[in-house]
Amino acid sequence: MNINVLIFRNLKKNLKNYYLYVFALVFSVALYFSFVTLQYDPALDVAKGTIKGGAAMRSASILLVAIVAVFLLYANTIFIKRRSKEIGLFQLIGMTKSKIFRILSIENLILYFSSMAVGIFVGFTLSKLALMILFKITAVDTAATLQFSTEAFIQTLAVFAVIYLMILAMNYLFIRKQSILSLFNLTASTENKVKKTSKFEIVIGIAGLVLIGSGYYVSSKLFDGDFGGMDGLFIAMAYTLGSVIIGTYLFYKGSVSFIANLIRKKKNGHLAVHEVLSLSSIQFRLKSNAMLLTIITSVSALAIGLLSLSYISYYSAEKVARDYVPEDFALTDTTTADQFKQSLEAEAIDYKETRIDVIQVKFDVSDIMDTELADLPADDMELPVISERSVDDIDVSAEETLFTGISSVLEKIITIKDSGNIKMLGKTEVIPQKYIGMEKEFVVSSYFTNGGLPIAVVDESIFEILKQDLDPEVQKKSVLYIGISIVDKDKLEQANELFTNMQLQESNPYLNESRLDISNNQKNGMGLIMFIVGFLGLTFLITSGCILYFKQMGESDEEKPTYTILRKLGFTQADLLKGIRLKQLFNFGIPLIVGLAHSYFAVQSGWFLFGTELWAPMFIVMGIYAVLYSIFGLLSILYSKKVIKQAL
Amino acid sequence: MNILEATKIRKSYGNKVNRQEVLKGIDISIGKGEFVSIMGASGSGKTTLLNVLSTIDHASEGSIQIEGNEMTRMKEKQLAEFRKIHLGFIFQEYNLLDTLTVKENILLPLSITKLPKKKAEDKFTALARGLGILEIAHKYPNEISGGQKQRTSAARAFIHEPSIIFADEPTGALDSKSASDLLNKLSELNRERQSTIAMVTHDPTAASFCSRVIFIKDGQVYTQLHKGDQSRKTFFDDIIKTQGVLGGVQNEH
Repeated sequence: MNINVLIFRNLKKNLKNYYLYVFALVFSVALYFSFVTLQYDPALDVAKGTIKGGAAMRSASILLVAIVAVFLLYANTIFIKRRSKEIGLFQLIGMTKSKIFRILSIENLILYFSSMAVGIFVGFTLSKLALMILFKITAVDTAATLQFSTEAFIQTLAVFAVIYLMILAMNYLFIRKQSILSLFNLTASTENKVKKTSKFEIVIGIAGLVLIGSGYYVSSKLFDGDFGGMDGLFIAMAYTLGSVIIGTYLFYKGSVSFIANLIRKKKNGHLAVHEVLSLSSIQFRLKSNAMLLTIITSVSALAIGLLSLSYISYYSAEKVARDYVPEDFALTDTTTADQFKQSLEAEAIDYKETRIDVIQVKFDVSDIMDTELADLPADDMELPVISERSVDDIDVSAEETLFTGISSVLEKIITIKDSGNIKMLGKTEVIPQKYIGMEKEFVVSSYFTNGGLPIAVVDESIFEILKQDLDPEVQKKSVLYIGISIVDKDKLEQANELFTNMQLQESNPYLNESRLDISNNQKNGMGLIMFIVGFLGLTFLITSGCILYFKQMGESDEEKPTYTILRKLGFTQADLLKGIRLKQLFNFGIPLIVGLAHSYFAVQSGWFLFGTELWAPMFIVMGIYAVLYSIFGLLSILYSKKVIKQAL
Repeated sequence: MNILEATKIRKSYGNKVNRQEVLKGIDISIGKGEFVSIMGASGSGKTTLLNVLSTIDHASEGSIQIEGNEMTRMKEKQLAEFRKIHLGFIFQEYNLLDTLTVKENILLPLSITKLPKKKAEDKFTALARGLGILEIAHKYPNEISGGQKQRTSAARAFIHEPSIIFADEPTGALDSKSASDLLNKLSELNRERQSTIAMVTHDPTAASFCSRVIFIKDGQVYTQLHKGDQSRKTFFDDIIKTQGVLGGVQNEH
């Protein structure tokens, strides 16, 4: 038998062992290739929009390379360790290390590049799908056609060739370091030393929980105004990040085994078999994976957090646009409005018009506002004022003022009491008023509200007085809001085109606005970010899931003797499987729950800066994440089931 | 009354073309409270016999009855349940779970019974004191000696008061002092609790602690020795003599 036959036979025999490695490879190549194809696709320029978008895609592809490289190298270490015995055997029969290295390299080469070919094919198909999704979410209206990009092909080839060389280097170092003896003993030496839980561990365990808790606490207080200024905010953020990450590490290192130990202590030796397989395994094994789990948890928390935030922003696009432009179009002078109306009529598009007089008045609201903001002084705040006549369902007396419309950011930053006394500061007169509450709805466009300040609704008589006593310094160029809403929503696009053709937005974009444009702009920008984050997040999720699964495969193999003993003692496969299920619930559930909790607190602390809806987008993202993650848990259980079956 | 009744057990490995018969029709019966040892040279099939009797392995032919239950007709799952409740095991390589303390290891077979915690605790204490491992109850297997491990293993076999205990070379990995300690404890437990023990060994000293020794040669019962009233020393000499006759390569000329 010459060496070629040996290589070929090895490959055939190991393919079963390697199917996951192959899967990992195909998957990585497919993802990378489809991403790069998109990056080079000319059709994408529309979606990219700006130079920023292009830069975002480029940096994302670099990040993608990093994730994929780490993942493949990690997978390789696991698989080469599994073959240590075989390598030892080759050495034993007198093969030189360089010859073994050559065999492994050729074997790897065949495996690697054939998987790559498959991956590129899959990736090409995938990229069309990805492009369609991208166009859909960025509200770009182009058919998704795609060409095979040679540039992308070469780039993918180059990147993975480099990764292949890195794998070779790793294998070389691995083989060179090993002696025959250590190769045989490898699996035995990685087994954990079982020790009693020490005092030090208890301290670590408690410290981990305390650190995470304090990080969460600080994060929830981040924007409550407790941390003054940018410096304070920065320190608080840095503290949160640091304490949560270190806390997570200590949690895995100590807290888990500490808690497991407490439970065992309580049981006082009376352990059921499912507890034997879950608790004791968690107690000793999770610890040794602390670093890996911390990285996985932190990065996945980051991914979920970013994805949630961008999705919140995307999801809220229409709501935000509604806050900015209450009707479909917002105009501020009659001539332009007439022009626009004429063109609408020419196209036979029905519309409704709303006209609201808006004046700017200084307010003293220090009585009802607790928070002090430097650029928003409570005793000298400019707010838009309208008459109650302009809005349908609001009725206030001459002494009362109602506020309507508040952005989610402002709502979070400042606290306004439910009622109290306020003063309107006219040019000469001061009118005291009773503040009676806050409504959600914006009724005039963002031009008047300065991008999200509440609108004061007063009695008609007061409005007249204020009008006579205007402070010219604070007035805007226009005092009239003209809102035009299209009756038939199917014609909105058409109307929007007319509006765009008038080129009203060139001089001052805030004077005249279209809701559809605002919402589409936001969707466009956030859509691309969401796509990139989603792509990276998914890649990371699947790679980290694979890594955990590989780890669990290894653990199951190592625990096989335990299964054998238990089965000899008469525990059925079902008994053992119950324990394994519980164990995997912990193994995958703990990192998942910790990751979700981290991202929950991260999102919770700053979501209002991104949009108006929190729960729906966050739960959708978290739900998808949890489901994909559980798949790996299920796979691990299936593998263990196989091992248990073979154990006796 | 016989606890175990095995008739005409055959066990062969391999396929139709290349068949290796290990057990060639063995009849064995073990009565209640007996301490029986099975001896034979390497390859005589004694461990296979024990595995088959203890339901870990299937017999190719024959019938095995333990307390009147026919083992050969049971399904895999029923067998496991039966083992769990009615059988106890002591292995040469201890087979303790590394991640459990001595106490947890011993209490494992009780986990499936509905025994109240208090009673389980009493049983454990009595047994552990008898075997001299009460002090190390909260240690892990890698912190204790081989003898202590094997006594833990023995405690695990006795704790749920099984119908019969199978021991496979229990002294094989122990030094002579630990070995005789263990055997003394085993025969003590055998006397006090009327437990039935079947032990496979190739060590004549170990066998001399038993009340009966069955010799296996080439997959068949060769002979049996009863201890009767004789002292352990004379019984030991008998065993040695029989082993001498039994052992050795057949002269082919």
